[in-house]
Amino acid sequence: MTKHRGVAESSMSEAALPIRVDANIVMRDLPSHEREGQIFWRLRVRLCMAHLRSLMAQARLRTSLVVGLSVFFWVGLFALFYGGFEFVVKHVDAPGAPYHAKTMQFIFSLFFLSLQVMLVFSSGIILYSGLYPSHETAFLLTLPTRNERLVDYRFQEALFFSSWGFFLLASPMLMAYGAVVHAPWYYFAYLPVLLAAFAYIPCAVGAIICLVLIDRLPRLRRVILGAAALAIIVIAYRSIWRTLEMTDLEALGRSWFTETYRRFRFMRDEWLPSVWLSHALLDAARRSNNNPKDLPWFESGKYLIVLVSNALFLHIVVGGLGKRMFRSSYCGLHSRPARQPRTTWGKVDRFVSAGLWMLPPTMRVLIVKDLRQFRRDPVQWSQFLIFFGLLLLYFANVDRFRQHRENPDVLTWVNIVSFLNLAVVGLILSTFTTRFIYPLISLEGRRFWILSRLPIDRDTILWGKLLFAAGGSWMSCSVLVLVSDLMLSVSWVIVALHQIVCLLLCIGLSGMAVGLGAIMPNFREQSPSKIAAGFGGTLNLVLSALYILVVVLLTALPCHFYLLAGKSDGQPKLLEPTFMNVWMLLGVGCAVLVTAIVTVIPLRRGLQAFRQLEV
Amino acid sequence: MLRFEHVSRSYGSRLAVDDLQLEIKAGQLYALLGHNGAGKTTTIKMLVGLLRPGQGVITVGSYDAVEHPREVSRLIGYVPDQPFLYDKLSAREFLQFVADMYGLSAAAGAAAVAREIERFHLGDFADRLAESYSHGMRQRTVFAAALIHDPEVLVVDEPMVGLDPQSIKLVKDLLQSYVRDGRTVLMSTHTLAVAEEIADRVGVMKTGKLMFDGRVETLRDVVEGTDGSLEAMYLAMMERLDGPAPASE
Repeated sequence: MTKHRGVAESSMSEAALPIRVDANIVMRDLPSHEREGQIFWRLRVRLCMAHLRSLMAQARLRTSLVVGLSVFFWVGLFALFYGGFEFVVKHVDAPGAPYHAKTMQFIFSLFFLSLQVMLVFSSGIILYSGLYPSHETAFLLTLPTRNERLVDYRFQEALFFSSWGFFLLASPMLMAYGAVVHAPWYYFAYLPVLLAAFAYIPCAVGAIICLVLIDRLPRLRRVILGAAALAIIVIAYRSIWRTLEMTDLEALGRSWFTETYRRFRFMRDEWLPSVWLSHALLDAARRSNNNPKDLPWFESGKYLIVLVSNALFLHIVVGGLGKRMFRSSYCGLHSRPARQPRTTWGKVDRFVSAGLWMLPPTMRVLIVKDLRQFRRDPVQWSQFLIFFGLLLLYFANVDRFRQHRENPDVLTWVNIVSFLNLAVVGLILSTFTTRFIYPLISLEGRRFWILSRLPIDRDTILWGKLLFAAGGSWMSCSVLVLVSDLMLSVSWVIVALHQIVCLLLCIGLSGMAVGLGAIMPNFREQSPSKIAAGFGGTLNLVLSALYILVVVLLTALPCHFYLLAGKSDGQPKLLEPTFMNVWMLLGVGCAVLVTAIVTVIPLRRGLQAFRQLEV
Repeated sequence: MLRFEHVSRSYGSRLAVDDLQLEIKAGQLYALLGHNGAGKTTTIKMLVGLLRPGQGVITVGSYDAVEHPREVSRLIGYVPDQPFLYDKLSAREFLQFVADMYGLSAAAGAAAVAREIERFHLGDFADRLAESYSHGMRQRTVFAAALIHDPEVLVVDEPMVGLDPQSIKLVKDLLQSYVRDGRTVLMSTHTLAVAEEIADRVGVMKTGKLMFDGRVETLRDVVEGTDGSLEAMYLAMMERLDGPAPASE
């Protein structure tokens, strides 16, 4: 240590030289606000053009598929909304009448308020991921970029990614409404500006919450924030459910509607942007009542101005907060201590390994490794927890039909709802298999030299992934489906049938994701989300949805007819009760066959591709 | 040109940089050495504005790094250890963007881009998208971007990683010529031979503290009993700072 002290002393003697500040450094003028905006705009355009060129050159099929499906979705929604609004005009009241306005105000307010809340959350989350953990942000911070410009640049992305779904949903609905009520031309002219201004407001609120939260609470652990978010969601969910709860009123009857309308008065508060938008739309869509003082375009225009001015005001607030808070919050967040992953779950791993005693030891090791990775990746388990937690909450409350047990109509509804719940579980699972299982082989490929050096058969790796995915998903999905069935009080035959279908779905979806992931690996991409968003991932998602639809329909329809069998006159002989068991068995048999096809074919092709893999 | 005055930065309870006092004059090439986790990258990140000091002041020229981050970044060119490029931009477009951000006029920007493309031999791939670049090509492009505005201070974190021998020679020559022009280089590196060859001063950090700051010759006087190479002296110094080795049975 004496030597060490000597080192320090010598260092100080040399370092204590006076600093020379060169006053003659030639300083160029940094870009003005406007110039900086132009530079970033040019960057954005260049990046977008390069992306588009790359998509057209390398992924024409995927792009065509996405565009085609979006157009199909849009047209389908338009047709659906058109029919719905025609129903309102025919059965409630004509446009301009008070009941029509009231009903539409209710529908629009409910729809836009729900989307408003979602936009707040999604833009906040997307802005966070773009602004704080991003390499690009770190690079831009080392350039002479204004803080507010950086926030604005990232906010534009958050705005786009969080609101495209809103536009995809809202535009067919409002176009359909305009077409049904024969709205004047200015309704359609106002529409894009109204939607853009409206979407901007909740997105900006989400951005403000994100900036303030990260600046003020940088030290809060993600788990605490996640738990708080979950608590808020649960409380909101319970509140909504209580609002909807009506035990002593006839479901979907007049008093039910009246009571529901009354209970939802909170969403018609005049301070809500969703209400401004609803007013603007209804005013723009109605015809003038021949009173010279009644100017619908002007009334609607006033709400348009309110929306635009609020959006612009919030734009300024986001910029101001970005200027004041962004850099300090960024530095604060990146000064947090690195989280030490817990390694105290060894008992769980040993338990799982012991439970898989029937499998070869190498496969057990691979499954336990995948389990560890899942457990230590908050992105995976938090999404899993949120989606399945929300589903569980919903299923735990889905007992609204109990009081009308004896009604055959209600019984068939219960059957439909129970199968819809099963389909929802499958659809959520398909998003997980696409997002987390499909990219596994691509990600493994990057580390393939490790596995290829080990004395493990390559097939074992793929089978291990399949068992991990199918086993893990079945354990959670079967519980969810069971809760749904118990709450709906369906018969034990249906419970057993649902459990079989659930198992089939878990195997089929996992097999498809693992197989397609091995057939179409992407070793150049490091981000699993980008791998999942590629052509293979998109294909996996689309095929998964089709597969779920087929399997659920194959098993749901015989059950549906089984419940109807013998309850009405003049039905075909093949739908008589004696044939129903045959139909049900046939349905299950076909579902097993479809599952075998979607599992075996991709897996066989995947195994072949994986055996020949060279990395 | 660079001054760290009693600078500290912690991550939670772990002190990453502990009361750092350091001055680097114009015309000096300073090499920051130390094990992984010694505090080198934290020091550099505070200098370039990616982190803020918990205590103390960092000055670049006459500007406080926290109060005037834009002015400081105008004086600094930064090459990080993990280079960032836009995958969907070519090197030329990337350099043009950086030149624009530093306020270079169209003509000056074009001239600077052409100069750096020539200096780093980027011509063969300057118009290809960066997504197809190797690590070395990316590193050279990032060097070109860091120098596009002719900064007074060049801050380089692990400059030689992933470069081929020709590029290493290029970078070494560049850094040396840079300080000969009266400008400043702060380099963090594990490549001790390069530090010994080109650095005017070296600083050795350990657990956030600057344990040594001076010329390599001074270190030779301090650490005795080695062959005199920086590597041998560095390892001997670290061994001593770690304390006596456990007695063998």
